[in-house]
Amino acid sequence: MDDMAEQLTERLASDLDDGFTELVRVHASAVRAFLFRVSGSAAEADDLGQDTFLRAYSALQTYSPERRRKLKPRAWLMTIAANVWRNHVRTSVRHPVSATRAEDACDTWVDESPGPEERAATSADRTVLVNALTELPEKHRVAVVMRHVIGMSYSDMAEAQGCPVGTVKAQVSRGIGTLREILTPEAAVLGEVTR
Amino acid sequence: MNYRNDEEERPAEGQLEHALADLAAPAPADFALRVLQRVGIPRERYDTYSHLDSAAGGLYVAYSPDAVTGSAVDTMVTDADEFERLHHARTGRTAIRASAPFPGLRPALRTGRAKRLPIDLGGLTDLECAVLHAVRSIPSGQLRPITWLAREASLPSAAGPIVKALAKNPVPMLIPCHRVTYEGGAPCDAAYAERVGDALRSAEGIDMHRLEELTLRGAVFLGSDTTRIYCHPTCAHARRITRPHQVPFRTAGAARQAGYRACKSCRPATV
Repeated sequence: MDDMAEQLTERLASDLDDGFTELVRVHASAVRAFLFRVSGSAAEADDLGQDTFLRAYSALQTYSPERRRKLKPRAWLMTIAANVWRNHVRTSVRHPVSATRAEDACDTWVDESPGPEERAATSADRTVLVNALTELPEKHRVAVVMRHVIGMSYSDMAEAQGCPVGTVKAQVSRGIGTLREILTPEAAVLGEVTR
Repeated sequence: MNYRNDEEERPAEGQLEHALADLAAPAPADFALRVLQRVGIPRERYDTYSHLDSAAGGLYVAYSPDAVTGSAVDTMVTDADEFERLHHARTGRTAIRASAPFPGLRPALRTGRAKRLPIDLGGLTDLECAVLHAVRSIPSGQLRPITWLAREASLPSAAGPIVKALAKNPVPMLIPCHRVTYEGGAPCDAAYAERVGDALRSAEGIDMHRLEELTLRGAVFLGSDTTRIYCHPTCAHARRITRPHQVPFRTAGAARQAGYRACKSCRPATV
């Protein structure tokens, strides 16, 4: 795995287009899975995933070969993906488009129920978990998805989020705690009593 | 009290983590390709590949915009990831998954006629290319010995270099190396395991039992006493000869001496 990562950065440094195709091949599914679980929508994950790589490419164009060689591709891409997602949430709050707010007022045309892809990906048991995930506060959700869905290490996450390892660990554990509360309310009560 | 509660909670924590790890859904087949198109990477810089079904099982086929560049039968690789890695190691090009296969690929697989499919043999020596081109001219459902390949490719008939060239076949199934045999009639599966070759041959309807029987009778070539023409036993014309009219020959010379001429379709000797 380390060998492959080294090979990838080496290719990025020597030939950007070639290295970038390899970057997309290796990391596209992780980036998309992250955005899918954070946003809860397949269509949004596709759009934001493309934005992420577009940003990555234009950033790489300005980097020197040495800088590209030292890159940690996955953590770096996740930083961009998290930023793209954060920007997207902010703009959609500031400029609500017809698909969200305005349509609620008039007759709803958009079918909010999960599409075929969401349904396939979230069969019966998972639906509960996916819904619980979207109820988490944004920071905790990003942390939980990075750690447990994508399987990143705490140090990589800290680098991606630009904060100390301790902070990231706290976010994950709080996120997991909240998830458990949402999933099994009685367990949370029990925990409080025994504590 | 606290301690016991901790112990009770631990399995639940594991479950939740497992459930979360299960949520890592794979991206749709075309996602990476769409990303590259959106970013504007020129199409010549990478290969795409798709996974197709054929009579002998699944097949990964990679292609550049104008030619097929590599393939692997399902049983030769463990998963798509390994195919991508092997393809890069061999060609130095990244293969990106796509859902639309190379034009003409589906009919070629369905009919077994892949002769006209453009295939890129870059990176191979002239001798290897010559051998593989000769292999491509073996019709579906037929077998040819190594000496036939040497004659068609105008190469010295030493088996060693030809078998080595066959072992380098980058496009199994589409360059039908499974249709090549040793002189004795035993299949020469140089580029893949024998069971892969067996599957490919039986999918084309090649009856290996009948051929073994013929070999036991000492028939390397099969002649017809009505037309006085002799063929390779798998040639379409030889398969039409009814049993009473079949005349087995051990060598082309013997057939010639008996007054038979070589078939012009399967060319058992220079016609």
